[in-house]
Amino acid sequence: MSTDPSRLIAALARDQVSLDLKTVDLCFLAGLYLRADRAALASFEEDALVDMFEQVCDVVDPGADRPRTRATHAIQRLRDQRMLARVDGAGIVRSGEYALTRLAAAVIGYLIDDEKLTRESLTLLTGTLRVQLAEVLAAAKRADSEQSWRTSVVAPLRVTVGDLVGGIERRQRGLDSQQEQVQAEIAALLQADWFGAVERCQALLDTTTDTLRELNEVLLRDTHHLLALLQEIQALATDAAQPEPEQAVQRVIEHVDRIGAWGGARQRAWSEYYQYVHRYLRDVVRLDPDRALSQRLRDQTAGWASTPFHLLVSAAPSIRLLRPLESRVERPPVTRARTDRERAPDLVEPEDTGLTIRTLVAESLAAGASSLVEVTVQVLSRFPEHLHYAITGRVADELARVTRARSAFERPWRPVDPGLEVEDWELAARGATR
Amino acid sequence: MTASAFESLEHVIADEHFPQADLALRRGRHIGRDDGTVYDYLVDALDHLEPLYRRFGAELVQRSDGYFYLLPSGDRLGRRHLSAGEMLVGQTLALMYLDPATLQHGGVVARAALLQRLDGLLGRETLARTLNPRKRKLGERVAAETVRTKVAEALRRLAVLGFIDEVGDGELRLRPALMRFADPVRDLSDRTAALERLVRSGEVVLGEAEDEDATGAAGDDDDDDADGDGPGAAGDDAGGEGAGG
Repeated sequence: MSTDPSRLIAALARDQVSLDLKTVDLCFLAGLYLRADRAALASFEEDALVDMFEQVCDVVDPGADRPRTRATHAIQRLRDQRMLARVDGAGIVRSGEYALTRLAAAVIGYLIDDEKLTRESLTLLTGTLRVQLAEVLAAAKRADSEQSWRTSVVAPLRVTVGDLVGGIERRQRGLDSQQEQVQAEIAALLQADWFGAVERCQALLDTTTDTLRELNEVLLRDTHHLLALLQEIQALATDAAQPEPEQAVQRVIEHVDRIGAWGGARQRAWSEYYQYVHRYLRDVVRLDPDRALSQRLRDQTAGWASTPFHLLVSAAPSIRLLRPLESRVERPPVTRARTDRERAPDLVEPEDTGLTIRTLVAESLAAGASSLVEVTVQVLSRFPEHLHYAITGRVADELARVTRARSAFERPWRPVDPGLEVEDWELAARGATR
Repeated sequence: MTASAFESLEHVIADEHFPQADLALRRGRHIGRDDGTVYDYLVDALDHLEPLYRRFGAELVQRSDGYFYLLPSGDRLGRRHLSAGEMLVGQTLALMYLDPATLQHGGVVARAALLQRLDGLLGRETLARTLNPRKRKLGERVAAETVRTKVAEALRRLAVLGFIDEVGDGELRLRPALMRFADPVRDLSDRTAALERLVRSGEVVLGEAEDEDATGAAGDDDDDDADGDGPGAAGDDAGGEGAGG
């Protein structure tokens, strides 16, 4: 079966596992369980089953009709639920033999066995466990092969030691259950008999307290020895590079740790409960033997709205930590650091483009240029390209001032530069300057 | 003085538990056996602390149920009265504390059980009206919501005061200090006479609560302005004047 919880649960859901046991079924199983125990029977013949069912019916349902038919149905029902198993294998040849399954034994064992932990049972179990572990340790010291580790260490740890540890844990659960019953019993005793139940409650408390203290003492003493033995076995397994025995020991160590922790935890929890109940018995029950306080308090609470009163409690506030006193706070005006935004001028070569243009235009006109384009082309050739656009305008301006321009109605566009065109003017003949 | 484990008040104040115990007591907390070493400290230091707090106009009360609390009687230490919600919830919890059925779980009860008990004792309508007197008419859903809110708030404050411990998962551990709510009915004398005696000793005030939210808020550590003057204690509250002690 898978160990993965999710897969395991899914498999159980898929198989639609369920149990439906009626009181008569459980009584029938209990009867079989007890008879098998007392007479050391491994199985029952079919007639024995029917006889037992009829006896149970007489107790559980005395007036029932046709008990044999009901027995047949009950046996079938229990077989369907894996509580009874047919063990003879004879089929229809003859009537069968039946045995209780492990499931039925567990259910009935839980219901009727008084399997709780006592000092005697715990001492016996831990003593046996120590002997077993000592034997396993001796075997581990002798083990010289994987096979010997498996047969003389792993197998005893899993079966014998595992069963003993499981037995202790099972009895611990039994004692837990008993404690719950004691708590419920104390409450029920007080509910029923109030002051008269004080002594019995005290006795119940003391008995359980003594039991837990004794168990815890045994557990503290013995788990220490058990863990020492287990750690020695584990160390041997580690040295021999045997992972399987190492893991098996680790699992047992975890179980033993859990057993030890159980004792401490239960004793602490019981101690709290003991103190609480003890206080209750002393402060509530003994001081109010007639149990009148509850009734008076109930009346007071129910009628509180009509005659209210309020408890007074101290309510001193937290201590305040005050800042140093300042009568007037002078806040400085918001300012920004001054910066010198005036940069020192760069030193560059002097230039006078205007004068140069004027000179060049005059030279061009003197050379006989007769149109704006001619003059512009000659002037631009003396300047770098990035200045051509600006120079073109200034040439036109200079020409307009020094000469008279004529232009047709539709002035033609002519290039003066690969990327620049101007509307051309015709210039008047030389001497026709302004 | 001979019973005290401390030689002098100086030793009491020098003890590591003093700040915690002093602050808790001044804030109205009831310190019981469940508080461990702080309770033991108070038991040991009682002979020295009683005169100390008397100088602040307060009485350090030790109850036989196993808890301490500070009861201011003058005007030097701030005080407040419990709100209607706290009173109703406190009395109901005290009733549950007395119930043997609570013993089975070591004094732990569920919030749901408390609400059921309140409902059973007072009825939903009375409960809603008492917890929220300003609103005359409440729908059923709103009334239930109001009750839940007020009860939760009361529980929070009662936990701060050391009447209960909130242990998670909607469960509450009841503490012996809850028996203060049963004080008026603890002896067989007439309840009115018992109440008068408690009023005289400064344990309770009579009358309607003025403003639940305002009075209750004084229990909060951060809220120093809300005073807790009850209707019968007008003028008693010093608003924390002597808190610095």
